[in-house]
Amino acid sequence: MLEIKDVVGGYGSVQVLNGASLKVARGQIVALLGGNGTGKSTLLKAVSGLIKPWSGSITFDGERIDGLRPDLIVRRGLVQVTQGKEVFPGMTVEENLKLGAFVVRDRAKASRALDRVYTYFPILKERRQQLSGTLSGGQLQMVCIGRGLMSSPKMIMLDEPSSALAPQVVLDIFRTIHRITQDGMTVLMVEQNVRMALLLAEYGYVIMDGVIHIEGPADQLIHDDNVRLSYLGGTVANREASLGTGA
Amino acid sequence: MGYFIDLVIIGLSIGMVYALVALGLSLIYSGLDIVHFAHGEIYMIGAFIGLMLFRHLGIGYVPTLLLAVVLTGIVGVLIERVFYRRLTSTGGGYTVAGMGMIIAGFGMSIVLQNVAYLIWGPKALPFPVPYGRPVEIGNLALPMSYVWIVATALILMFVLNLLLKKTMIGLAIRAVAHNKDIAYLSGVNVPLMISLIFGIGCALGAAAGVLIGPINYVQVLMGLSVLIKAFAAAVVGGFGSLPGAVLGGVLVGVIESLGAGYVSGTYKDTYAFVLLIFVLMVKPSGILGVEAKVKA
Ligand SMILES: Nc1ncnc2c1ncn2[C@@H]1O[C@H](COP(=O)(O)OP(=O)(O)OP(=O)(O)O)[C@@H](O)[C@H]1O
Ligand SMILES: [Mg+2]
Repeated sequence: MLEIKDVVGGYGSVQVLNGASLKVARGQIVALLGGNGTGKSTLLKAVSGLIKPWSGSITFDGERIDGLRPDLIVRRGLVQVTQGKEVFPGMTVEENLKLGAFVVRDRAKASRALDRVYTYFPILKERRQQLSGTLSGGQLQMVCIGRGLMSSPKMIMLDEPSSALAPQVVLDIFRTIHRITQDGMTVLMVEQNVRMALLLAEYGYVIMDGVIHIEGPADQLIHDDNVRLSYLGGTVANREASLGTGA
Repeated sequence: MGYFIDLVIIGLSIGMVYALVALGLSLIYSGLDIVHFAHGEIYMIGAFIGLMLFRHLGIGYVPTLLLAVVLTGIVGVLIERVFYRRLTSTGGGYTVAGMGMIIAGFGMSIVLQNVAYLIWGPKALPFPVPYGRPVEIGNLALPMSYVWIVATALILMFVLNLLLKKTMIGLAIRAVAHNKDIAYLSGVNVPLMISLIFGIGCALGAAAGVLIGPINYVQVLMGLSVLIKAFAAAVVGGFGSLPGAVLGGVLVGVIESLGAGYVSGTYKDTYAFVLLIFVLMVKPSGILGVEAKVKA
């Protein structure tokens, strides 16, 4: 469904991605792991169109999408939920969600999508008239995922859905992601919570310094010591620092 | 007492004109992160376009107003698309174009003045609209031109509010104003919305120009003082806040009128700034302003 091939890119003149390649099959849930600053979010941004890859190719559903404007990629059915639970704080929960269906012309379809989001996150239905700026962290994340689902995409990319949330809330979010995939959604998920991510995912990739370093079926990666090691840091230097072997 | 009420009514109607220009400035600022220094000239061009339509097409004042608003909106869209957006092509969009955009705005203001000069000449032209008799309320005679200004401005503000609050386009405009990346990822065509925001901002300026035309003359340099007043109004109300722009416009208009009536007409143009300085001392973010615009 999604195929990323040798993608190079970054910000301004700073190269972050050094030829990353990755595949996600239809209906699959894939985890993208790696330490801080290794380029996970940057890779998702390259796929969603927020940054343009300098070279390499990105194919979605059989068509090249690299270099396309982000809203056109959303129209093709590929949505990114960014890291950091970014909502429009001055809009109500429901307005935030409705905005996610901006590309949907068919009002009935949009309202079905809204109902579906409310079944995934019943708390959002209760708070639909509340300004989203007043929500808790977990609820913000729900709004973000919900907004991503509103255009009924074929595939969704989640950037650290569990970060900075209480353990109970993390569990809730992961359960819902599981439900969403069981309903047929294809998911690429960036996570710092390696164990949970690999329990949920079928396949995993570990990125380091902007290239895929390790990949494999999730149940193998979960026992792989190298995965834990790579996860500790993006570069050899800070990995050693984390392990206490560096300067 | 009658004199006081007269001054307030005059101030209110001029204030509505400032408010419309300030609304355009604020809308453009919140959507594009630029202070549009050529907005006074958009107001001037709007007034001239209105005058030309009124003179040569023989249509009524209301169709003139609507047509001038739409045409000037289109002129605005073209200016933004052809000139301003080019300056943002190095990446980062309007948010980082900063200083260059300010200079570009000043440059555009000079260019538009000269274009208008070439087309319409240096003379102040009358905009004779047959308004009919003043409305009598008690022993007060309200000139129709003032009634028109206030009523039209209120209708435009109401429509703008409806657009922003109740439609998907409005939702998308607010989204683009707050965070362009998230708007993009929600499927919003951000470049198109930027055009629309700029166009609406210019349309509001044009409406102000067509409204003021019949009570002042229409001339090339009319944009200068209005830009400054509208800017003061927007800052008094809280820059980027739309209700703030309206409140600021009305305050500036009324205080200017009272000052001219009771203190001295010679210093008419300074009262807005006395108000501005006072408000900035008490609340630097403006009366309805949020402390700082939250950016992602
Ligand atoms: N907008 C930006 N402009 C310039 N450099 C950036 C920008 N965003 C990220 N970077 C840099 O790119 C590198 C990769 O960042 P990225 O956000 O992709 O990392 P990440 O793997 O998602 O890390 P994290 O786990 O902290 O989210 C980092 O060195 C970061 O400093
Ligand atoms: Mg990240």
